[in-house]
Amino acid sequence: MNNKRNFAPIFFVGPHIILFIVFILIPSIYGIYASFTNWNLISDPVWVGLDNYKTILTDADSTFYAQFFNGLVNTLLFVVFTVPLMIIIPLMIAVALEHKEVKFTSLFQTLLYVPGLISISAAALIWSLIFNKQLGVVNNLFGSEHVWAATQPYAWLTIIVITVWAGIGGNMIIYRAGINGVSKDLYESAEIDGAGPVRKFFSITLPSIKFPLIYTMVMTTAGAFNVFAQPLMMTSGGPKQGTTVLMMYIRDLAFSHGESIAGIASAMAVLLGLVILVISAIQYYVMSRNAA
Amino acid sequence: MKKFLSAMLLLLVFTLVGCSSDKNTIQFWTPLTGEDGAYMDELVDKYNETDPEFKVEHVVTSDMYTKMYTVLNSGNGIPDLSIIHADRVPSFVKQDLLEPMTKVMEAQPEIKAENFLEEAWNAGNVEGTQYTVPLDIHSNAMYFNKDLMKKYGVENWLDDNVVTFDEMLSLQGKLEEGDYVLNDALISWVILAQIQNLGGSIEEGGKPAVNTPEMKQAIEAVKQLSDAGLMTPYGEDGYLMFQSGNVLFSTDGTWSSTGHAQVEGLNFGVTNIYAFEPSTFHNRASSHLFSMLTNEERTDEKEQGIADFLEFIRQNSIKWAEAGQIVASKEVVESPEYDEYMQSFFTSTPEEEESLYIYTYEHYPYIQEALDTYVADMIHGEIDVDTGLAEMQKFVEDKVSEGSLDIENAETEEATEE
Repeated sequence: MNNKRNFAPIFFVGPHIILFIVFILIPSIYGIYASFTNWNLISDPVWVGLDNYKTILTDADSTFYAQFFNGLVNTLLFVVFTVPLMIIIPLMIAVALEHKEVKFTSLFQTLLYVPGLISISAAALIWSLIFNKQLGVVNNLFGSEHVWAATQPYAWLTIIVITVWAGIGGNMIIYRAGINGVSKDLYESAEIDGAGPVRKFFSITLPSIKFPLIYTMVMTTAGAFNVFAQPLMMTSGGPKQGTTVLMMYIRDLAFSHGESIAGIASAMAVLLGLVILVISAIQYYVMSRNAA
Repeated sequence: MKKFLSAMLLLLVFTLVGCSSDKNTIQFWTPLTGEDGAYMDELVDKYNETDPEFKVEHVVTSDMYTKMYTVLNSGNGIPDLSIIHADRVPSFVKQDLLEPMTKVMEAQPEIKAENFLEEAWNAGNVEGTQYTVPLDIHSNAMYFNKDLMKKYGVENWLDDNVVTFDEMLSLQGKLEEGDYVLNDALISWVILAQIQNLGGSIEEGGKPAVNTPEMKQAIEAVKQLSDAGLMTPYGEDGYLMFQSGNVLFSTDGTWSSTGHAQVEGLNFGVTNIYAFEPSTFHNRASSHLFSMLTNEERTDEKEQGIADFLEFIRQNSIKWAEAGQIVASKEVVESPEYDEYMQSFFTSTPEEEESLYIYTYEHYPYIQEALDTYVADMIHGEIDVDTGLAEMQKFVEDKVSEGSLDIENAETEEATEE
């Protein structure tokens, strides 16, 4: 009997711990180790200390320096463009769906959620046809003459549109769940006190769903930093490497046709990880402080 | 509870054991996704129907090279046979990842240089040792729209099977709106062909040479076509525009013939990539090569089995022509059935065979990558040609020096030990 009690927790946490160790912890540690080495994925890694970081961060003549900063800037641009939209739009939809006179709420919810289930590659193929200059709906409808994927700022626009289209559903569900948990009494008493819809939103809804908000913000931001498929599929990183994000450079360095440059790639990945960590921590700190 | 735990453990052990390869099958890895993979499946099935001692199990892996590195590192689950691309051979051999085909060639005497297209066979030959047996050559090819050529009265361009820059430039200002002479599909391959046409090279004494007069001339010549408004605009899907009948020439690959053939009303043929002179022309190509990754566990009997399979492929790979590839086996290429396939154009004469050019320089993949990154921007005037050339040279040099740093380090270590 005693034995059973001791084992029970292990069985609950065990699978997750094992998966975490095998697929996250060990690869991460090895990745950090690889970032201090010169490694082509086949021969043994050769320890080079901080050389990779020096090249990436200080050697302005190096291709890797140029790639890292171009990639980081493009990644940051992507984060700045998409994260606010991925928070605000789902929030507005979630609130709108709560309105008493809105019918078919589950239908709308499903329609908005489904894009997130479609594989991003398949979705990108559809969207690149929508934005196609000759065949595309967009140019025919608006009579525009742009080659979307090859002209700025349209190249970014295509990437943002597909990202938001695919991403709002998930956050919306979380907000809806959060809003459903808010006691109806609060809204009723606010109404009695004469609060309008705007006041109710800012004074009741927002404070009540602060945890879902923090959670979605942190997760959406971290996800946005890891962007890869959308620019790869929509613009191939063009024009003039203007939408080549850091993950694309990292992948090309490690797994392209030539001999792998996994050391530099790992160093870039570690630096990207640090950026995500710091920004997520700041977000979490600021949000939870303000909410407290 | 303990029983449950041990049951789980047993299950895990069984699953892991299940992963290891069967002694009597040849694990065969290819990067052939999509239709290519289906054609290869058919070939493998046909071979297995002959009831060989070692059956072949074809595994299509989309990111095969990454997986190869993984199994080579761990030493577990290394495939018995695999298909790699020609440009991988030099670095694989340098890193000692490939087993020579010597025993396979001894076991099946018909697997020899004379029985395969020379360029494909030589792609697997490093310093006199044969490391691969070729399946095919897949080449850059230029498709032409017969109806459009008639419309503009330029059918005579094809008389010598080579369309020249000057011929194309002569159509400047004569095109209807929305029509173009050529697209920019696989443009980096086109540039690599021009470098051969100009007698240039991508290496100089073992070092990569990207910023060369020939490279500049090649890029500027193509840029001239783009500047003249003859090339499909930057970023547009030139491949699709060719299929919709607005482009005279599409410079894509031999494998595209199947795709073009599915377009209703597209009346097309195939010829060489355009060149400066009708007398000098090249088509940049690559090759799918059978190879054996280094693996001590591969028995001699299994190598015999592999040899039997490769001999079967050599005799029966007409199926592979359906995928649009130039089959490497001479027996197939010289058979009358093969003439039905469009790509037979590239083996129709000795000159055509010689036009197929496979780059085998060790750092070629980096150069290809640099071209893919920069060339479209350069020919469409998005970045200055000289700036682009300098950046490409730097790009390749940096990658080369980073990729080979370990060797330098190893040498210094040895030196200090001495």
